[in-house]
Amino acid sequence: MNAEGTDTRGPGERTDTRGPGGRTDARGPRRGRRIGYRMATACALAGAGLLGGCGGGGQSTLHPHSGPAHDIRTLWWWMLAVAGVVFLGAVGLLLLAWMRRRRPGLPLLGEDEGATVGLVVVFGFVIPALVLVALFVVSDLGIRTTEAPAAGSTPLTVEVTGHQWFWEIRYPGTQAVTANELHIPVRTRVNVITKTADVIHSFWVPELNRKQDMVPGLPNRLLLYADKPGVYGGQCAEFCGAQHTHMGLLVFADPPQRFRSWLANMGAARVAPGTPTERRGEAVFQASQCASCHTIRGTPARGVIGPDLTHLATRSTLAARTIPNRPGYLGGWVLDPQHIKPESKMPGFNLSGPDFQALLAYLRSLR
Amino acid sequence: MAIAHPPAAEPHLERLERIWEERPGLLGWLTTVDHKRIGLLYFFTALAFFAAGGVEALMIRTQLLAPNNGVVGPGTFDQVMTMHGITMIFLFVIPMATGAFGNYLVPLMIGARDMAFPRLNALSYWIFLASGLLIYAGVFIGYAPNAGWFDYVPLASKQFSPGPNIDFYCLGLIFNGISTTAAAINFIVTIFKLRAPGMSLNRLPLLCYAFLAVSLALVFALPPLNAALIFLELDRSLGMHFFDLVHGGDPVLWQHLFWIFGHPEVYIIILPAFGIATSIIPTFVRRRMVAYALVALAEVLVAFIGFGVWAHHMFSVGLATITTVAFAAASLVIVIPSGIQLFAWIMTILTGRPQFRTPLLWIVGFIVFFLLGGLSGVAFAAIPFDQQLTDTYFVVAHFHFVIFGAAVFPILGGMYFWFPKVTGRMYHERLGQASFWLTFTGTGLTFFPMHIVGLLGMPRRQYTYAPGMGWTGLNLIESIGAYVLAAGLALVVVNLVVSLFRGAPAGDNPFAAPTLEWSTSSPPPPYNFPVIPRVSSPYPMWDVDDRLVDVRQLTEGEMVLEEGHETPTTSVLDADWDEVLDMPSESPWPLAVAAALTAVFVMLLTKQVIVAATFAAVGALVVARWHAQEPQQA
Amino acid sequence: MNEVTRSARATSGEAVARVARLRRSQPIGWWGMALFIATEAALFGTLLSTYYYLRLKSPVWPPDHIPAPSMALPLALTGVLVASALPMALANRAAQAGRAAPAWWALAVALGIQCAYLALQLHSFSSDLDKFGLHRDAYTSIYFTLLGAHHLHVLIGILLDGWLLARLPSGLTNYRALAVRVTALYWYFVSVLGTLVVVTQLAPSW
Repeated sequence: MNAEGTDTRGPGERTDTRGPGGRTDARGPRRGRRIGYRMATACALAGAGLLGGCGGGGQSTLHPHSGPAHDIRTLWWWMLAVAGVVFLGAVGLLLLAWMRRRRPGLPLLGEDEGATVGLVVVFGFVIPALVLVALFVVSDLGIRTTEAPAAGSTPLTVEVTGHQWFWEIRYPGTQAVTANELHIPVRTRVNVITKTADVIHSFWVPELNRKQDMVPGLPNRLLLYADKPGVYGGQCAEFCGAQHTHMGLLVFADPPQRFRSWLANMGAARVAPGTPTERRGEAVFQASQCASCHTIRGTPARGVIGPDLTHLATRSTLAARTIPNRPGYLGGWVLDPQHIKPESKMPGFNLSGPDFQALLAYLRSLR
Repeated sequence: MAIAHPPAAEPHLERLERIWEERPGLLGWLTTVDHKRIGLLYFFTALAFFAAGGVEALMIRTQLLAPNNGVVGPGTFDQVMTMHGITMIFLFVIPMATGAFGNYLVPLMIGARDMAFPRLNALSYWIFLASGLLIYAGVFIGYAPNAGWFDYVPLASKQFSPGPNIDFYCLGLIFNGISTTAAAINFIVTIFKLRAPGMSLNRLPLLCYAFLAVSLALVFALPPLNAALIFLELDRSLGMHFFDLVHGGDPVLWQHLFWIFGHPEVYIIILPAFGIATSIIPTFVRRRMVAYALVALAEVLVAFIGFGVWAHHMFSVGLATITTVAFAAASLVIVIPSGIQLFAWIMTILTGRPQFRTPLLWIVGFIVFFLLGGLSGVAFAAIPFDQQLTDTYFVVAHFHFVIFGAAVFPILGGMYFWFPKVTGRMYHERLGQASFWLTFTGTGLTFFPMHIVGLLGMPRRQYTYAPGMGWTGLNLIESIGAYVLAAGLALVVVNLVVSLFRGAPAGDNPFAAPTLEWSTSSPPPPYNFPVIPRVSSPYPMWDVDDRLVDVRQLTEGEMVLEEGHETPTTSVLDADWDEVLDMPSESPWPLAVAAALTAVFVMLLTKQVIVAATFAAVGALVVARWHAQEPQQA
Repeated sequence: MNEVTRSARATSGEAVARVARLRRSQPIGWWGMALFIATEAALFGTLLSTYYYLRLKSPVWPPDHIPAPSMALPLALTGVLVASALPMALANRAAQAGRAAPAWWALAVALGIQCAYLALQLHSFSSDLDKFGLHRDAYTSIYFTLLGAHHLHVLIGILLDGWLLARLPSGLTNYRALAVRVTALYWYFVSVLGTLVVVTQLAPSW
């Protein structure tokens, strides 16, 4: 946990000192709801703190982990160096002007108007023109690594669809569907096809590559490549409505073996509930509104408004990287999502204590 | 150098005063056609909107002061950040620069007694006021525009934004566009035709070149925006399908149209600042501008090339590579005219004997921030970098250095510079310098860390952020900076308000400035100039002989033009005297037309199309009545 | 110094003719109208570009089995509109020469033609509305918006004519002569616009 995250409570926010991981012993729906509410607050506040710190998920353009992101960073440092020289040079001239404020004319050249205009042309036209031509050749013609990969030129293709406000992730050629957490094999070129289901979003994982807008009717491609295993953070980069802020993404670059088994599991139907509580939870899921928005493959739930939950328990975060996927947070999210992510499409549920516990147990079993 | 009025001039001055005097009191302000009074109306209205936009900025910075802050929720935040953008661009910078400074100064600088179309000028103001109030009506009923200032579809479509929020945006900005277009046409004709005889185009003050370039850009840039707004409003209210993919429309069309307007808009915002800089610099460094012709050319070129670079706002959309590369090249070309101007200012300061008084300090601050914003702007012409950093706080840093640091600093400097002219009193120098340093520090603190936060991956338009991303400390600095900045601006206001009552009398030309507005009294009389001034260089106040000619002519009653609301018109290039115009005097009709148009737009907003058409007909009748009053009858 | 005229004093035919003769550069009214036309041209440039943009995006044009527009009537009507530029030009010549009555009659003729044009166009507009409706697809959106915008400009021109016809009988002044001149300029623009719009409107039928 990051030190910054330890004390983020606003004034007047009473949070449960047990921390977000504690289990609730719900005593009836009202009690459960109240605890859930307080817990949700705690989760939302403390939880977000976890995200920055826990096991990667960084999204700094200055820490590239792929060729394209590396090229962009190198370009940036070069541009900064040249811009720094120009800036300091110009400010230096202003300082010189201040030092010579009582003396007209230029040092050495004196009040020669032609020379002065000549300097304007040199500084304002000749030098910029040379620098700009160099910049154009290097950045706009030279850097090719950030370009979209040709169709079929990569070993793996992933389809990412932006929704208000989550990411739907499919692996064409397999049954695998997941959300908000994109797994790729490390050191492998992956072709990401970017689409949108509603408004314009922008797919952006800064440590791996540039961003790519997801525009209706304009599917695009983007290369993803990670040069070492790890977790990389991403976020929607085009304003997409109320919860644009909480439309995060994690990219897991896994060793190939682990990736293959992960993908095989993602393609499978849900793990059938093993305990009576979990079976009751599945019944609650099917009977409540959950099933009308979410899909759990292997059950009648076929909703398409929210993310696919078939393997929910394998994900490390909830609500598009808003809170960690732990029991306390999950409970808070189910009971009062509008507190954690206002205006998201998920309504809160008023469940009886046992139903709520069963539902949680069931969701936790969806590995 | 100021004209001392000889006794023989008195009868002429009295006669001019009688002819040009407007009605006193509130009614006088409502019916005024005097460009100076309209300029002041623009000034105070734009200042009020600046305050509103500033409060919105402080709300944003307060919300982002700490991670997971709960000052405002996402719905409110989106309205606040959208209104901040709309307010600052459409209701503050443009009306302040063109409406207030342009209106007040351009006729005075070219030796004219009013704008070319004084009643149209009044109409522009009243429409501007009404459009601003119309947009803010959305704020007060809780349905302010909320899709960001560039309002991308489909987010702004009826499907995803069913409330009236975006209707306020579309109709408010179309309405506002009428005002801006009318004002732009007025400026162009004024600068082309109403210059004092002798002020050929190569003697036009550089500030007027800037306003000419801005106005030309507006004439051609606003129609694409208006078309886009009309399309969107038709989509939303009549169920058309311009941007609706399912029915053959295209959401990217909005982006093209918006940015065909949006990029020239950047230069529209900043060119007046360039103009103000070229007024203040020669005055305080006590020499002529270096490379006058190059600067004039650069000002016009910038406005022109600005039309060819719009797609650099769309590099991450997924346009064809050839398109993006071509637009990147054009975007690099536009750096050149800005570079020439920048170094012309710097070399002028360097080769002159600068007195770093308050107005020049603001210009130095402007140069520093324009360098910062310009250099970070160049980086966005590098396509891969653009695609990485666009829509992050790096972009927010970039354009705030350009449109706050570079566009607004000269406006603030200009407020100090022309304060003695407008009020007849001096501002407080040391307080003025203090206000500059406070604002300068605040601006740097607020916007510089945004570069770093953007590089660290923070997207713009987030209503909050998680801790642990490395953004927390920097955001705190930005928020503290915003309060410092607000304090600096408050100090500017305090200085000017106190000086208005307590300032030392200024005289006609306290700074020995070179342009014609300083040749008349402070504040200028309603007729601006007792005699039409003689001009033989771009720095007429430094041509002492010409000013002596003015005095002689006043004594002899020559070039006084005192038979009505008279001002000369001249030929476009050489400013040869052509006709004497009889300008219209005060009129209630512009206000009436604006009222009718306001009713039209309110009715469109409430979907009462028939009633709206009725009001439009009323408006047409009022226009007919307005034009029934011909000059010679006035 | 050049001979300088106090043009606003010209309130008789001869005085107006003299001012027009002595004028060395375009008056401010002309510049105002020219710039208004420039901005309107930019607006129609955007509308026409949008039409072709949407057309390029669509595999079939017109889409949705909408019949391609018929050629004869729109072309004939546009011919009539362009022809009305002739009486406008005559009205302008008469006004600049200081002759109010011929100017009035020429304007009246032009107005008659223009009104007939607008009436027939509105008729065909509303029958198109019945045929394929406003909110069918992107084609109908730009089709009706483009035509509607053009018809609105014709209506504005008719209002300008009407104002002139109302004012001229009480005599010619410099102000009114200039008004005739800028109104004529406006109509030339609308004629060019009409031609461009009809070419675009009929583009699917070529």
